Amino acid sequence: MKKQCNKYTSEDISRFVDNELPRNRYHELVQHLSHCPECKLLVEQYRSISAAFNEHADQQELKIGTGKLKQKVDHVIQNSQKKPVGTVFGLFSKNIYLKLASITAILMISLFIFQEGLFDPAGPSAVVTSVDTDFSSVMIFETQKEKHTIIWFSET
Amino acid sequence: MVKFIKIILILIVIFCFFSQPALAKAKVLTDIKVIHASTESRHVDPSLKKIIPKLKSVFKYTSYRLLKNQRLNLNFNQKGRVNLPGKKTLIVMPSDIEGKRIRYHIVIQKNNHPIFQTQVLLKNNSSITIGGPQFNNGTLLFNISGSMR
Repeated sequence: MKKQCNKYTSEDISRFVDNELPRNRYHELVQHLSHCPECKLLVEQYRSISAAFNEHADQQELKIGTGKLKQKVDHVIQNSQKKPVGTVFGLFSKNIYLKLASITAILMISLFIFQEGLFDPAGPSAVVTSVDTDFSSVMIFETQKEKHTIIWFSET
Repeated sequence: MVKFIKIILILIVIFCFFSQPALAKAKVLTDIKVIHASTESRHVDPSLKKIIPKLKSVFKYTSYRLLKNQRLNLNFNQKGRVNLPGKKTLIVMPSDIEGKRIRYHIVIQKNNHPIFQTQVLLKNNSSITIGGPQFNNGTLLFNISGSMR
């Protein structure tokens, strides 16, 4: 904003409108405004800008809405309270299918273990603990690949 | 989530309790195959497909004929009898579980007199072969398999 009056700069006028001028300079400018239409016009322009800015700022503040803000804050607090419980299985906290799948997997592993699927005993198919026979010749052996146990006795 | 873990643990305990075979109630399914092995022909019984590779890796017989296939559903300490050729009888009795194995008493009788007896710890769902008695220019083999139910 350009003006012809050289006594006060536009910065001085702006500080005047914002009540930032020292008291003596403020009163001087009040007196000056009574006979300087240019500075007076500038003051009015600054005041209208300031008023418009304040009004706009108020509207923005109203748009946020305290109720909505409170709701958001409550939601964040609730989530932060839930988090410590869910950290162990955080992955499963939302997806019901994942929960069901994990239960099924655990049950199947249990079934496998308890039905002797995982831990078959090593060694031959049969361990011979005793043999009692009338015959003199008895052989016990196992096949190389399958470890199949064979007891062989000769009747002769 | 704590609830979820608790539910899983309870389910596992219940599941394990019911899936673990209780000795008093368990039955032992025992399959006995009486096989005639000889070198007189080149016949291999199709029903012996699973056993033949095991036997062929040890014996030089060329013919394997299935004479009898008997399935016995035995309780523990219950004797199962199978009549064999040559007035012989095979008696099998599951008596105990040791680890993952079934303890079997096996007796071969001739004229009600035991000529061979043994005790074996048979791996569950596995088998043992006992052989030796001469029969019809060949040898008799007894394949005994057991599985807990």
